[in-house]
Amino acid sequence: MAAQDPDPTAEFRRNESWLFDTTAGAYVRKTAVALLTLVVFAFVLFPLYWMVVTAFKTTAEIQQIPPTVFPNDFSLEGFRLVVESSIQAGGYTSLFANLFGWQASSAIDIDILSLVLNSLKVAIGAGAIALVFGTAASYVLSRRDFAGKNALMSIFLASLMFPGTAIMVPEWELVSALGLFNTHLVLIFIYGAMTAPFVVWLMKGFFDDFPDSIIEASRIDQCSSIETFWYVIVPMARNSLIASFIFAFLLAWNELVFALTLLDNSRYTVPPGLLTFVQGFNTQWNVVAAASIIISLPVLLGLAYIQRYFVQGLTGGAIKG
Amino acid sequence: MTHLTVDGVTKIFGDPDKDGVVAVDDLDIDVEDGEFLVLLGPSGCGKTTTLRMIGGLETPTSGEIRFDDVVVNDIKARNRDVAMVFQDFALYPHMTVRENLGFGLKREDNGMSTADVNERVEEVATMLEIEQLLNNKPAQLSGGQKQRVALGRAIIREPRLFLFDEPLANLDAKLRKTMRTEIDELQSEVGITSAYVTHNQEEAMTIADKIAVLNDGALQQLGRPEEVFNEPANLFVAQFVGSPDMNIYDGVVEEAADGVRVELDGVSFELPSDALDSEVPPGGVNVGFRPQDFYQTGKRRADGLTFDVDIRVIEPVGTKAIVHGDGPMGDVTAEIGEFHGLSAGDTLSLSIAPEHVYLFDAETEALRKGRRIENRASVQSQSQSSESDGVEI
Repeated sequence: MAAQDPDPTAEFRRNESWLFDTTAGAYVRKTAVALLTLVVFAFVLFPLYWMVVTAFKTTAEIQQIPPTVFPNDFSLEGFRLVVESSIQAGGYTSLFANLFGWQASSAIDIDILSLVLNSLKVAIGAGAIALVFGTAASYVLSRRDFAGKNALMSIFLASLMFPGTAIMVPEWELVSALGLFNTHLVLIFIYGAMTAPFVVWLMKGFFDDFPDSIIEASRIDQCSSIETFWYVIVPMARNSLIASFIFAFLLAWNELVFALTLLDNSRYTVPPGLLTFVQGFNTQWNVVAAASIIISLPVLLGLAYIQRYFVQGLTGGAIKG
Repeated sequence: MTHLTVDGVTKIFGDPDKDGVVAVDDLDIDVEDGEFLVLLGPSGCGKTTTLRMIGGLETPTSGEIRFDDVVVNDIKARNRDVAMVFQDFALYPHMTVRENLGFGLKREDNGMSTADVNERVEEVATMLEIEQLLNNKPAQLSGGQKQRVALGRAIIREPRLFLFDEPLANLDAKLRKTMRTEIDELQSEVGITSAYVTHNQEEAMTIADKIAVLNDGALQQLGRPEEVFNEPANLFVAQFVGSPDMNIYDGVVEEAADGVRVELDGVSFELPSDALDSEVPPGGVNVGFRPQDFYQTGKRRADGLTFDVDIRVIEPVGTKAIVHGDGPMGDVTAEIGEFHGLSAGDTLSLSIAPEHVYLFDAETEALRKGRRIENRASVQSQSQSSESDGVEI
């Protein structure tokens, strides 16, 4: 019998398969996973890639059929027009003419810098509002029991599921009653209100996990409640607070519909501002793309810097003692 | 240095008039200057609530907590000048060990400069042998190191009181013993009045100057560890303190020529009057035998109750073994020294001396007869001297 069955490990190998238990099979699996990853990667990043190459093409090349995957004629025309338009619309034409003897003259009349500043103002304001109100609310929802608490939490969650445009009409009436048309303040309020529920949910998760004993330890360590809040809770909540702020900031930064309808073009934020570059059949797509890149860069860099806090905050990895 | 008094303290969670839960019920405890009090009891007996009331983290529903005869009921935790070590250590995760240790000192209104605080931090760190860890965050520390930092944070302020809330519960068994000794040494060194909560009777026995045994929020007994062990106030204390658990049997006490006669299922024995501290009236009793008090018949002395046990299980613990078996009066657990020739199924003859028998009233469960304290010296040496016992025969 032993001679007929030379492999003593055969008993253990009954469930083996080629794909999962051989080296060749492992290579096949890894290759398949890698290819799939590449496809997903391309699917996600192609629009960004297309924006970048479009920015470096000439108008003629953009309209070429079939389109080129990489610009034949590397051109910075789009960027030049954006900068010139900004200088002109920002009223710096004479300054540049005096300093460099260079006369900016652009057919487009949009100041990118002011778009970014407007957006920053609105996004930071909305982030601050969402953070302050959302955190205060979440602290109470996490630490205190009261009637209707679960209903309140459900309403907060439900409000996140409504599309913002669904409440356009009542929002319009409210804005008009308050006389806040064409102000950045109204956008700050609206974006703050839209993102606060998310902040409530995120921060409630944080406070639910917050150990009471640490707060008690700080009381025993002779902290007043303000000192406990400032020296213990805030530093520990840092990552979650940053994540909440970024979430609110990004929503405000990207929101188009309210900004387009509530502001006129002198106060546009980035999304409606970019839209004004799109001018029907005359659209210079390289200019649109160049403007998009210039506008995205600062946010991109800022996010790259704080993204690790963002991830830690979202995954709740903040409290480890 | 504080004389701590807990006077008639009751704590009710929820509405006292309706369905409030009584966590602590009319508790009286007195702790002298520099004494080490251990609050001992099963989960939910109110020991932690008591500690938190002493620390000011909970307010008593009624009664008074006094530090040096000053009522501190309405003094906030931050103003009581107490230090607390928490079960989960409760270190500030965002601070280094140095900052954790110095945090309380910096908050205090003591006129200490940053350099003073640092000096004190290093002093305490050296004392606890954590000086190399000063710049680490708590997440980088092992359980024992966190425990030391938590201790350091407590002693650095030289508070009126140390409060320990099951500080060793999250450590592994070996570390628990080391840290237990260290806490004991540390407390004797600094001489600060301490209250320590635990459900571990062994921990309580070794560390305490005074043990308060609690059950269902009520104080069962307050006494020195040997009192609690040898003269437990009632059946609950007797069963809670000591390991393995005390053997308890239903019995009846009858008058005898000298002393009393105790009838158990299948066996009976006499307790001479010189083994009794007070008169034991006839009637129903609970009879208690500590597993350590049994000896193999003939090995120690000749008198006392003797019976046969059919061994079910032998659990060797190094030089001794815990034997579980069936005796005439029911299940018997005994700790014996010479177990190497024995195995399950064998019959073992056990004896117990009259002065080691516990009797409790069957109705009130109050103590009728305890273990003789005068014989402590010989009692203590019993477990260790089992080998020499064998030689004597």
